[in-house]
Amino acid sequence: MASRLSNWLDVRTGWRDVWNGIFLRKVPKVNWAYTLGSASLFVVVNQMVTGILLTFYYVPTPDHAYDSVQYITTEVAAGWLIRGLHHWGASAMVVLVFLHMLRVIYFGSYKFPREVTWFSGVLLFLTVIGFGFTGYLLPWDEKAYWATTVGTQIAGVPPLIGELALRILRGGQELTAMTLARFYGIHIWVLPALLLSLVGLHVYLVIKHGISTAPKRGEK
Amino acid sequence: MSDETTLSRRKFLEKITVGIGGVLTALFGIPAGIFVIQPALKKEQSSDWMRLGSASKVTPGIPTLFSLKVQRQTGWISDEEELMVYAYTEDGRDYAVMSNICTHLACRVRWIEERQEFFCPCHNGVYDKAGNVLAGPPPRPLDRYEVKIENDDLFMKVG
Repeated sequence: MASRLSNWLDVRTGWRDVWNGIFLRKVPKVNWAYTLGSASLFVVVNQMVTGILLTFYYVPTPDHAYDSVQYITTEVAAGWLIRGLHHWGASAMVVLVFLHMLRVIYFGSYKFPREVTWFSGVLLFLTVIGFGFTGYLLPWDEKAYWATTVGTQIAGVPPLIGELALRILRGGQELTAMTLARFYGIHIWVLPALLLSLVGLHVYLVIKHGISTAPKRGEK
Repeated sequence: MSDETTLSRRKFLEKITVGIGGVLTALFGIPAGIFVIQPALKKEQSSDWMRLGSASKVTPGIPTLFSLKVQRQTGWISDEEELMVYAYTEDGRDYAVMSNICTHLACRVRWIEERQEFFCPCHNGVYDKAGNVLAGPPPRPLDRYEVKIENDDLFMKVG
């Protein structure tokens, strides 16, 4: 029954070739450092699932943000767990993508023909930093408020464009409800759309080129 | 022979992979489900007698509108909610307090003096002055609250 259904679907969608291309491709003999990309992808899924769940209760306005976060943490069943996974997942994400990047540099995996994989990886790294920066403000506690005050103030330092950059980031001169709302919009809509597009490109290229073999000593 | 062993090794790893995937899905899925559902299943806070006002304000034969403020805790927000009820008495001794929520699909009904009827504008539900259904889709009379009278004060049970 199950095989008849999967055959029926395969004739109409060709899913088996796609499946085999993704999961049954040949992989060279490598080491555990080569799993850092998959680990990052796993944390991306974690952040998406827990992030979507948090939006069920979180409200991004100055009079509700802090209270709704407290409500999630102390009142909602498993709220401490969902928020904890998102909080610690965020830190794990930055650490993992950084180690992943070091691995790629150390094993020379960024070289021809994988330059575009590398470029998309660089953009993904910046996207992750953006997630961290915008997400940090959302709990709207003292640490969030002052960290973002300092962080956005830095954008105001460059001559000529600094003032404008700061105003655009904050949605005005001061850090207000405007800032919280736009950081939230960036955090849950803009960056996820960017991240998913880039992950799609990145993973497609990894599968297309196959994993690079570890370089051997004395190899030219 | 060797072909058979590679096949079973492959099958074994396949099952392990699917198994780990299943465990992870459950580890995320079960807390996620609880997280979404639990606050929806919370019981309303305990019931309480609320004073509507003087019972003599209710003219026999005419449903009288009372509004009262109830303190409600919803999530992290504690707020006042306005409750609208109709008090009705036939003889000045027995009182009924009716909810203004239509029993069809919970729109608010209002008393139409000229027609001597409660009317719900959403789907044309019509009730008589005692809350019994006269026309339209409502499946049952207007809901009633528990009532008591102390020293000419009308009380109803909220909760």
